[in-house]
Amino acid sequence: MILFFWVTAYFSFSLLSSDFLGMFLNLSSLGRTLAVIGAFATQWLYWTACEVFGRGQTPGKRLLRIRVVSDNGSPVGVLQSAVRNLVRIVDFLPFCYAVGLLVMLLSRENRRLGDILAGTILVREERIALDKYERPPEAGFAYSVPSAAEPLSPADVELILSFLSRSGELTGEAKSKLTAALVKRYGPFLSEDEYKSVTSSAEAAEAFLRTRAQARG
Amino acid sequence: MTEPINAFVTRRRGDWEKLGHLLKQQRSGALPLAELKLLDALYRRATTDLAYAQSFFPGTDAHRFLNQLCASAYGTIYQPPRQYWTSVREFYARGFPAAVRAERKFIATSAMIFILGLLLGALVVLLQPGGAELLVPAQMRHFIAERRMWTDDILSIAPPNLVASAIATNNLTVTILAFASGILAGTGTIFILVNNGVQIGALAALCAREQMAMPLFSFIGGHGPMELSIIVIAGGAGLIVGQAVIDPGELPRRQYLKKRGVEAVKLVLGCAPFLVFTGAIEGFVSPGDLFPGPLKIGLGLLLGALFWSYLFRTPRGDGAGRSLAGAGRL
Repeated sequence: MILFFWVTAYFSFSLLSSDFLGMFLNLSSLGRTLAVIGAFATQWLYWTACEVFGRGQTPGKRLLRIRVVSDNGSPVGVLQSAVRNLVRIVDFLPFCYAVGLLVMLLSRENRRLGDILAGTILVREERIALDKYERPPEAGFAYSVPSAAEPLSPADVELILSFLSRSGELTGEAKSKLTAALVKRYGPFLSEDEYKSVTSSAEAAEAFLRTRAQARG
Repeated sequence: MTEPINAFVTRRRGDWEKLGHLLKQQRSGALPLAELKLLDALYRRATTDLAYAQSFFPGTDAHRFLNQLCASAYGTIYQPPRQYWTSVREFYARGFPAAVRAERKFIATSAMIFILGLLLGALVVLLQPGGAELLVPAQMRHFIAERRMWTDDILSIAPPNLVASAIATNNLTVTILAFASGILAGTGTIFILVNNGVQIGALAALCAREQMAMPLFSFIGGHGPMELSIIVIAGGAGLIVGQAVIDPGELPRRQYLKKRGVEAVKLVLGCAPFLVFTGAIEGFVSPGDLFPGPLKIGLGLLLGALFWSYLFRTPRGDGAGRSLAGAGRL
């Protein structure tokens, strides 16, 4: 992210002045001092300042929806953030975070050295939609599940609901094959004719599966 | 019979969404006091729901949703108090000197390793005439052979504030590296300490042999004592980390590393402003003949003495408990 910033800054400056290094030398001595200090600050202070004031998130982490937290779940502290960002220099060795990547592959919680020493961990912030649990079966179909049918386990319900929420991404044979397999698995009580009518169209099959997932055990 | 997952989500979802909304308000600082009680109650209920989902619906989206909700609520509710500036003052008044005193064994070890490097470099150059070619950069050797200081030219190339900022940032990088490379079981720290010691030792021995000792000492005298003290303290921080990697004692290694890492970094953060200060001296005062050599050496020794007396003479008093609290807030 930082590298990207400086590369972008360098190119935009060189477009403007077409000689960034020349411009650097032409800066007043105060300007050059500020440039040296600015480069240093982006290299060392940026992460810790952002993580402490941004509840564990730099702008880049916000974009990727990840967050640094202490490994006990509490917000990351100044000292912890300082540790993980100072040790970055070792994780970066010898180039492009080679050491950090290797340690992440080998360590139990996929943490780099800085995170291990600071006791911090990066967590993903997913947006999990709960709508699928409440969506009624598609209108126009009325299936009933016999009370003798075996109640589904939560894992089965989850399987059906995640299939239904993703079935829009499936097409053609893959979709009809998976749908038929699910109907067969969760509708063993269907008669031959009922099975045929349920699997005759994707909408019918989905309505049946949703009804089955929502039937009370 | 347990409640089906759909019914569970339908029944409880309103509360979860209300909790999410209150958390957002709380984070933006716009939560009315009256709603705080509700936030507390909803958080407790959500954790109960999480426990329920963990037992009966493990691995489902409902479980993951609750996990995330409760984690974010925990982070929001248990925020440390925000008193950054008072804790910074507290840190330099008590926390940093106390940390140095508490870790003095590591700092002494670091100093010994550094001095070992100094002696090694000096001995190689004194006993083996060719040693200087190995240990002192060619450019410096040329200057010394001509009986000139390489630093005399610095100020004619660049203004002192640029020299000072470049030196300060460079020294900060060395200091950070001395601490950070302690994570490699201390080997990185030891290498940096020995390496810096050998270079300075070899340079000093070469200058002494070439009758250039006085110019050298009048250059490094001004900033040297404080700067080398800081490198040694940062080396101590690196050794703390290295020791924690090798011998975590009775705690699990990950817990001990976390504990010691946070303690060690205090030494580095504490040194940072002093390092900037020595950078300023190295840029403005040390090079050239603007100030007489003995004055520079006297200034350097005085600054070094003041620095160490700040670290070891800061009153302990009732500060022990408070400095810990201050450090915790930091």
